[in-house]
Amino acid sequence: MEYVATHLRVVAALLVREMSTRFGSKPGGYVWALLDPAAHILLMTSIFQAIAHTPALGTSFALFFATGYIAFQFYQAMNGYLNAAVKANKALLSYPNVAPIDTIVARFVLQMGTTSLVAFIVLGTIVATMRVDTDLHWPSILEAIALACLFGLGVALINCVLFLKYPLYEQVFGIVNRPLFLISGVFFLPDSIPAPYRELVLINPLVHIIMGFRKGFYPEYRAIGLDMDYLYGIAFLTLFAGMLVFTLSRKTLRNE
Amino acid sequence: MIRFEQATKYARTKGIKKPIIEDASLTLNRGKSVGLLGRNGAGKSTLLRLIAGAIKLDGGRIIRRGKISWPLGFAGSFQSSMTGEQNVRFVARIYGVNTEQLIAYVEDFAELGPFFKAPVGTYSSGMKARLAFGLSMGVNFDYYLVDEITAVGDTNFKKKCQAVFETRLQDSDVVMVSHSTGTIRDYCDCGVVLEKGKMTYYENVEDAIRAHDKNMKES
Repeated sequence: MEYVATHLRVVAALLVREMSTRFGSKPGGYVWALLDPAAHILLMTSIFQAIAHTPALGTSFALFFATGYIAFQFYQAMNGYLNAAVKANKALLSYPNVAPIDTIVARFVLQMGTTSLVAFIVLGTIVATMRVDTDLHWPSILEAIALACLFGLGVALINCVLFLKYPLYEQVFGIVNRPLFLISGVFFLPDSIPAPYRELVLINPLVHIIMGFRKGFYPEYRAIGLDMDYLYGIAFLTLFAGMLVFTLSRKTLRNE
Repeated sequence: MIRFEQATKYARTKGIKKPIIEDASLTLNRGKSVGLLGRNGAGKSTLLRLIAGAIKLDGGRIIRRGKISWPLGFAGSFQSSMTGEQNVRFVARIYGVNTEQLIAYVEDFAELGPFFKAPVGTYSSGMKARLAFGLSMGVNFDYYLVDEITAVGDTNFKKKCQAVFETRLQDSDVVMVSHSTGTIRDYCDCGVVLEKGKMTYYENVEDAIRAHDKNMKES
């Protein structure tokens, strides 16, 4: 019990620490953690709305783009923030009761909450201002969010270790990770891609996450090619591999 | 009590593997403060981190009875982007002590003035040491692990440290690393000399200092 209590205390302390320092030096503090991505999405949405008038789904371009982008962010923001969790809290790891996994847990909880709030703000604004009523299918939405977060966590657990061990890998990961935004189906529907290329696009698990998420907003969307078994398999395999690597690399993480 | 049982630890950097301790067994009993002596790079600081539990052994185990502090050193365990106050809050939370009380104590002790609310990154090493020392003295431990920290600060501050430390040492012990044999003599009853992966325990601190001096002369 003592052991669990210590971890809970440490995670709580790290949560407060992350919240107060992430945007602590700017006036407004944590509010920026919400405002920044929300403003970013609203801006991007209005730019793309000006370029393309008719979305691939439904009638609102804003909703189409924002659903794709937010589903993507559940993975991307989580992953980007967690990749640096151990490194950013290095000094605090010299307290024996702060474990590397505590920094991950704290950031996971914080990022999950932050992106969820951003999603509420942005999607809430869009849905409320739309003329057409939207039927939300919550199970699809929550399932996609959970899988995006867990997949992001799994990749980050592996990255935390590998970034420290092989600095070159960090560069390579950055190069591979950057264009993900373009190929994950934020702007387009994989359903509309011709046969040989569609199979390639569908290898990317993020494509399935975004399709699943959109299904929750568009009841008429058939999401051809969406394979939840594949998504579950990849997400949990990555998570398991991450937990294994992270546990076995305690020494690297403590920076001995 | 702190007991080493066949403890082994190697320092590894870029293909070099150097033993810090090899198959070492040793018991340090409560009620005695220990001075840890050894040449530069012998691994004294690593040994303190091992005792604290911040890093793990490669083999064997360390049994600890009692609350042990984190290793107090210059480099500090502070997050430089956080203010002094935030760092203190953090420690209060992870050790489960009263936050406001600890902040009041440290603020008074460290005499940082307005800098207490500035990021630790802006501190001088003396200021960091004052914060670190005040912070650890504000939390009750059975063992304080001290890494050279008493050497910093001006005379007034040193006096203050000494006074607080001495009251603390009435019911706590210290494991101290210092290159100043005078400091070791002042605070410690017994000594451990770390040389070539071996820990040798001396009941009397004077014997430990003598053995250490002899080691230093030999090479």
